[in-house]
Amino acid sequence: MSLIPGLGMVRGMALTLRRFFEPKATVFYPEVKADIPPKFRGRLQLLYDEYGTLKCETCFQCAQACPIECIDMGGMDPKGRFHVHWGAAETYGERREESALRRSGRPVPDPAYDHFDPLDMRAVDAILDEHDADPARLLAILEATQAHFGYLPVAALKRISQVSAAPYALIYGTASFYGHLRFAPADRSDADAAASARRRPAEADYLAGLGASLAGRPGGDA
Amino acid sequence: MTAISRTWGRLTLPGKVVFTLVPLLAVLGAGLIAVVVLFGGAAADLVTANLGIVRFAVAATVILVITIPIAFLNIYLEMKVIALMNLRVGPDRVGPWGSLLSVVHGLKVLLKEDFTPTGADAVVFTWAPVVTYGAAVMTLVVLPFAPGLYAQDFNIGLLYFFAVGGLGVVGLLMGGWSSYNKYSLLGGLRSAAQIISYEIPLTLSVVGLLILAGTMSLNQIVQQQSGWFTDWFVFRQPLGFVIFLIAAAAEGNRTPFDLTEADSEIVAGFATEYSGMRFGFFFFAEYVNVFILSALTAVLFLGGWNAPFPVPHLSIALDPGSLGIPLLFLIALVPVVATVVLALPFYLVRSSMRWWVALIVGFLLFNVAAGGLIFAWAFISFPAVAGLVWFLVKAFAFVFLFVWLRATLPRVRIDQLMGFAWKWLLPAALLNLFVTAAAILVVGPRA
Amino acid sequence: MLDDEVGLFEPIQPNPPRTEREAEFYTLGDGEMLLNVGPHHPSTHGVMRVVMKLDGEKVVDLDPVLGYLHRGVEKLGENADFHQSIAYLDPLEYVSSLFCEWPAVMAYEKLLDVEVPRRAEYIRVLSGELNRIASHTLAMGFQALDLGGITPILYSFIERDEIVEMLAALTGQRMLFNYFRIGGVNGDLNHDFMSRLGDWMSRAATQIEANMGLLNENEIFVRRNRGLGVMDSETALRMCWTGPNLRASGVSFDLRRAHPYSIYPELDFDVPTRNEGDCLARYLLRLDEVKQSLRIIDQCLEQMPDGPVMAKLPRLLRPRPGRAFAAVEGPRGLYGIYAMSDGTDQPFRFRIHDPSFIHLQSFTTLIPGHLIADWMAINASLDPIMGGVDK
Repeated sequence: MSLIPGLGMVRGMALTLRRFFEPKATVFYPEVKADIPPKFRGRLQLLYDEYGTLKCETCFQCAQACPIECIDMGGMDPKGRFHVHWGAAETYGERREESALRRSGRPVPDPAYDHFDPLDMRAVDAILDEHDADPARLLAILEATQAHFGYLPVAALKRISQVSAAPYALIYGTASFYGHLRFAPADRSDADAAASARRRPAEADYLAGLGASLAGRPGGDA
Repeated sequence: MTAISRTWGRLTLPGKVVFTLVPLLAVLGAGLIAVVVLFGGAAADLVTANLGIVRFAVAATVILVITIPIAFLNIYLEMKVIALMNLRVGPDRVGPWGSLLSVVHGLKVLLKEDFTPTGADAVVFTWAPVVTYGAAVMTLVVLPFAPGLYAQDFNIGLLYFFAVGGLGVVGLLMGGWSSYNKYSLLGGLRSAAQIISYEIPLTLSVVGLLILAGTMSLNQIVQQQSGWFTDWFVFRQPLGFVIFLIAAAAEGNRTPFDLTEADSEIVAGFATEYSGMRFGFFFFAEYVNVFILSALTAVLFLGGWNAPFPVPHLSIALDPGSLGIPLLFLIALVPVVATVVLALPFYLVRSSMRWWVALIVGFLLFNVAAGGLIFAWAFISFPAVAGLVWFLVKAFAFVFLFVWLRATLPRVRIDQLMGFAWKWLLPAALLNLFVTAAAILVVGPRA
Repeated sequence: MLDDEVGLFEPIQPNPPRTEREAEFYTLGDGEMLLNVGPHHPSTHGVMRVVMKLDGEKVVDLDPVLGYLHRGVEKLGENADFHQSIAYLDPLEYVSSLFCEWPAVMAYEKLLDVEVPRRAEYIRVLSGELNRIASHTLAMGFQALDLGGITPILYSFIERDEIVEMLAALTGQRMLFNYFRIGGVNGDLNHDFMSRLGDWMSRAATQIEANMGLLNENEIFVRRNRGLGVMDSETALRMCWTGPNLRASGVSFDLRRAHPYSIYPELDFDVPTRNEGDCLARYLLRLDEVKQSLRIIDQCLEQMPDGPVMAKLPRLLRPRPGRAFAAVEGPRGLYGIYAMSDGTDQPFRFRIHDPSFIHLQSFTTLIPGHLIADWMAINASLDPIMGGVDK
């Protein structure tokens, strides 16, 4: 190495001192932009040729080749008869709103739901007034609705969602969780009612056992 | 009342600020005037009766307050110098050349969530940063910044310095132990071992100098180095100087000895569980420590507030009062004339510059020139100002050295660090001591 | 199980222990403690968790826990075409992406019996060696950073930035290039790339020497690294080490000479070897390899033939059913792909052999008996990239 101990460190320090005075390698970004090579593939823009026409022909080869299916595109067919699209439903065109609604928990305007009978909303509004349209008391609201109508009509659920501002998915999920709430009138769901009636004693046993084992611990039954 | 609340609601934010501050200041000002008028005489008599205590209280307050700008400056210097050595620019946007960044960091640290981790010993956890910071600040009491500009001149000043400065490690240990975190524990134990190991070479390396100087009072040590720069102790104790520098780097937990807070090994060492202002205290304490150790090196070995050459004592006695009424005219005219005169070249040469921009530039230049002239007059006439400037230059030269070491060198390992202290520095310090004592025996004590 | 008293922040042991080794590991002796060098840590090279059994500062035993960066690349590739599966292989050893694509492309070419044009081979070697230099400078910088030196990493990033900008001019991306194709490369050399390359080559050797040489003679660095993590050649071969780690232990095994591929037989370069087998030898060996790579780049530029850069292939590839294995000498060692095709247009399976994974298995051989700080040094000198380890 070196005969004088510490000489390597001194040479290192001389190097850093020299670098202290040299021009710096920082690119001062907003004022100075680094030059991007022409072949850079990270620019998200469609290219134009020298005549000013768009180079993209909507041949869908890029979307088909993409390994992670992140391209979505649409265009007219060559004879101008119909519109072609290629892409994930969530982001594309005609089905975009529907997918967004479904993911947001709001009710989806599915034509299947158009066939339900219009309901007398006054009863639902009265129930909501009584419970102050509070989503925390959702179970009580749903039980009251079922008590009135005999089952939970979809229109009623939509009304509850609209007035209480709870997402439709929350209401639907709560309703489907409990065995005593049903979405169809009782005569059409006998088998479900029977099955849930059979499950209920087992559920009660399980809950009692869990409470016993957690007794005295934080979060368990006191 | 509702009229007031309605009017208050209609004000904009600047309006609210003005309408809060102005009445407040007026009331405070009136109260202050009343107090001064009524009790001024008695207060002045009290002060002159207890001048020593008052002086010490003022000095202690000043020291507590100046640690903050010193720490800010050190943090900024470290970031900027390391960046420039790394061929990058460092802080650049906040303030000119990024100089306000450490102020912003201080504000940020105040605004962070301040929590105590589960399982931590709350009392010890809270007091650890206080102990570290307090130990660092208390050592500044004996440092002579300029002739006459020191808080207290003990005749055992150096002993006090090492004793109190060594209390900082108690704070690190407290922090490391109380955090209920294995990383902190490792960091705290490492720091205890490191600082205790390096206390001994640190103090021993200075004993040779103490024999030469014959006093432990830092003020007198500096006074003995007055004259030419060859009188500085660094030329009479070169080995002691080197040992002291290395041991000081280890005491201040600076790279290459920064294992207590090794970022890449034990995350942040003793300070892993600290956040917010508590971490800010540790951080400040470390940077104030850097300044203190550099200042001590400058004081002990490089002549403190002495200039490198003996300065003939000039004194430009200005007596502006003797001018009488023309003084008022001067005060009114000189800034205006100087602003216009300095603005003219810019206005004439750069056609794109508007006249008021040129005037602003001229005013700024006048401020710089006037400030420079006043500073030069103070430098020449008052030894305190000159001494302070020399002291700060030397202290910050060593701060730069420590930052330069941090930028260049990697860390040593704990066993290498301890081996180095006990096997190399301690014998070297003893050797230094014996050679100095032998030389004094042979040559005879200096006058 | 919950009734056992678990300390607040102990690494939670698998209960019951799944193997005898685990049972032995989690029984603490007298004065030992478990420290979780967790996935969140400044100097694991990626996300890796290591449970260390410490006696004070000394490491008694280690249990690395991998898989934090597992992305299921091998499975994802089974649902893609052969062309598309190459893009999945880039993020594995993201620092040296071209060496991740290369063996896959070679394996598929074997299954398709495609001959790659010579110009394409030369371009592959050229860009590969550039990528090797970038990866090695980064590895050396990180070795310094893990030891506490904050400057060399920035110098190595300056080096790497220039090289990566060059590769962006050639391939279109700065990292995760997705440049190699079955049958050639995607795009010929262009003027931008050649001018940057020429400019850089004229000062490359001195610049690298100056930047990386900050620590070569630094006493602290040398004393931290010399004699640490010594692996003798027999143990290294038994633990299937390859690459610079193996060559630093004295075994002169380089795939470019042992099982030559591409046009390496026509190029003239040395295989640097060192005998000490410690961390310092691995560091210095990487510097030597960078110099050899510069030689190779020079020769590629001189001998570059003309011709097409891509073989003529159908759009939809259906290789014959079969298996193929191809391996290249990556900056970390032997990087291999074992591809199986069943005659359809999607690969049936490809298995990635990653060198960092193999090197991480030797933690328990190298580290017990040293300090925590030594673990950092050894880990950095082995140069693992967790993207490749976890796939």
